[in-house]
Amino acid sequence: MTVFKTFWKVIIKYKGTILLYTILLVVFGTLNMASNDTSTVFVDSKPNILIVNNDVYEGVTKNLIDYLQNNTNIVEVEDNEEARDDALFYRDVNYIIYINEGYRDDVLNGLNPVIDIKTTGDYQASLAQMILEKYIKVQNSYLADITDENELIAAINNNLEEESKIQINSTVDTATTSRLARYFNFASYSIMAAVIFIICLVLSSFHEKTVNKRIIISSMNYRKHNQLILASSFLYSVIVWILYVVLGVILFGDALFNLRGFIYILNTFVFTFCALTIAILISTLVKNKDTVSGIVNVVALGSAFLCGAFVPTELLPDTVLNIAHVLPAYWYINSNELLASIEAINFNTLQPIFINSLVIIGFAILFIVINNIILKKKQIVG
Amino acid sequence: MKKVIEVKNLSKYYKELKAIDDLSFDVYKGEILGLLGPNGSGKSTTINCLLSLLNFQNGSIKIFGKEMKPDSYDLKRKIGVIFQEVAVFEELTVYENIDYFCGLYIKDKNMRKKYVEEVINLVEIKEFKKFYPKQLSGGLLRRLNIACGIAHKPELIFLDEPTVAVDPQSRNNILSGIKKLRDNSATIIYTTHYMEEAEILCDRIIILDKGKILAQGTSDELKKLANIEEKITVEVKDLSDKVLEDIKNIDEVDSVVLSQNLLVITYRKGKNNLENLIDYLKKNKVTYSKIFSERPTLNDVFLELTGKELRD
Repeated sequence: MTVFKTFWKVIIKYKGTILLYTILLVVFGTLNMASNDTSTVFVDSKPNILIVNNDVYEGVTKNLIDYLQNNTNIVEVEDNEEARDDALFYRDVNYIIYINEGYRDDVLNGLNPVIDIKTTGDYQASLAQMILEKYIKVQNSYLADITDENELIAAINNNLEEESKIQINSTVDTATTSRLARYFNFASYSIMAAVIFIICLVLSSFHEKTVNKRIIISSMNYRKHNQLILASSFLYSVIVWILYVVLGVILFGDALFNLRGFIYILNTFVFTFCALTIAILISTLVKNKDTVSGIVNVVALGSAFLCGAFVPTELLPDTVLNIAHVLPAYWYINSNELLASIEAINFNTLQPIFINSLVIIGFAILFIVINNIILKKKQIVG
Repeated sequence: MKKVIEVKNLSKYYKELKAIDDLSFDVYKGEILGLLGPNGSGKSTTINCLLSLLNFQNGSIKIFGKEMKPDSYDLKRKIGVIFQEVAVFEELTVYENIDYFCGLYIKDKNMRKKYVEEVINLVEIKEFKKFYPKQLSGGLLRRLNIACGIAHKPELIFLDEPTVAVDPQSRNNILSGIKKLRDNSATIIYTTHYMEEAEILCDRIIILDKGKILAQGTSDELKKLANIEEKITVEVKDLSDKVLEDIKNIDEVDSVVLSQNLLVITYRKGKNNLENLIDYLKKNKVTYSKIFSERPTLNDVFLELTGKELRD
């Protein structure tokens, strides 16, 4: 009991730090509750395009240009290629369409005229491409049967004016699940900081060279002493996990009392365990408390920024996300996002989440193995 | 007398460096044995080997008649160690620190409480019980360090230079505390490079250098090895070469060294030397401001044995 009690006495000395990370999570959770969710709001978006018409502005050519004008933003640019390239480079224009001379005649003669394009290759450019392709496909579908230009234009316009009505039948409160995901995403930072920082500080006190020497020469079995320290560290991690789950329950209420909520909680437990193994590894590598503080800031904050704890992953560049694959927080946050997006919870939809959990457990095992190798090497050197 | 520690032919190497070279000695119940030697002489290495904190290549160590091993927990229960460096938790108070380290030996809560209170009184830090280590002065920290090592009332205590960088008042306090421990029949191994401490405290002294025992015995026995009886120091203003030569030629004089204004004369025999010297100086009208006589110190012994000073 002496070891166990002392562990908690030391932990209590760092209650201010634990409180700080908890307050951060509460503040974020509260702000999150107040924010509007945009997960199922569709925003009408028009790409900026430029049309360079080298054909007559009549008939099917005029109809194509009119259609593009209605569905995109036409940007006026100086009539030279250098100016067009500059507009594309500076993203004033996402897509440039070149209608070649003879386009109208070629369409009416049943030929498949070439339309040249220049693109920025981004999301807006893809949208412009889709709009153009849609028109060309509709036009081509009538070419075999209709030879009269006016009839052809009427048929194309009728077809394009038909609107698709989409109804989303969902039993899931997507706004709440998204908020839950964001809460648990942010919790990844609080958990990493509260678990890694505090455990590293406490273990560095016990592992401090002279204190450790005194423990070794005492009549308490050193292995048993270390087991007690590890058990206490595990218990502390569990308490942090429970604390953040309870905070989640306070903030989100019933939303956590279902299978989806249970999986969020379970996923968080797996992640907390992984954070514990990181803490043990760091405390084996670093004994100095000032160094511990620096390393933990790099690990917890770096991981949170790279993996999307603060910023949604959609907004992170691919390179950053590729790097983030080597961090456990990425797989944890990915599971939270997947949980928020799935409609029906069943084995198939949960499979990627299970795989993510296995990856996190894999990381934990890896950290334990590395820690043991280092400890063995240290013993040999000693 | 009952042997508490038996060390036979102990050798410890760090690659090619011999840290301890064929060391053999015994420690008897109730005595304070001083391990005296300059830094790097092998004092701490010897203690670490005795405590099984370090492996050694040759020899054997028996404590309380049993072979000492890393898992000799029954033996460890009877041992207390105070290291040179302060080994306490910054996050715990004075009381909590002592309670924790005592708890590594004593499971019974009431007994532990009694022991902790007793050791706090012994090292005189009662009014600092609720202080954190950062709030303590260097001397008080040392006393806390000692309290943490002896709270469980060990029969054998290792003190590894506990007075290094301690103010004189705390040093006296620590030394009187050690005497109290001896009076309570504890056996103490005391390592130091302060010869005065060794002389005051230790019943027997082992002088170590380069991992080897140079000499061992009581303080008086060791001083005989110095081959001098008396040392007289005179602070003089002017001294002629003739007077210096005359003093050198006195039969009992072993050596004469004049350094700046200090004249140090060592005598092989020690009867009326001071009186005779004062008479001589008066007769030859040599003016002096100070004159005093000393018995040889352990530093003189070390000088005699190694040709260098203990604190080199």
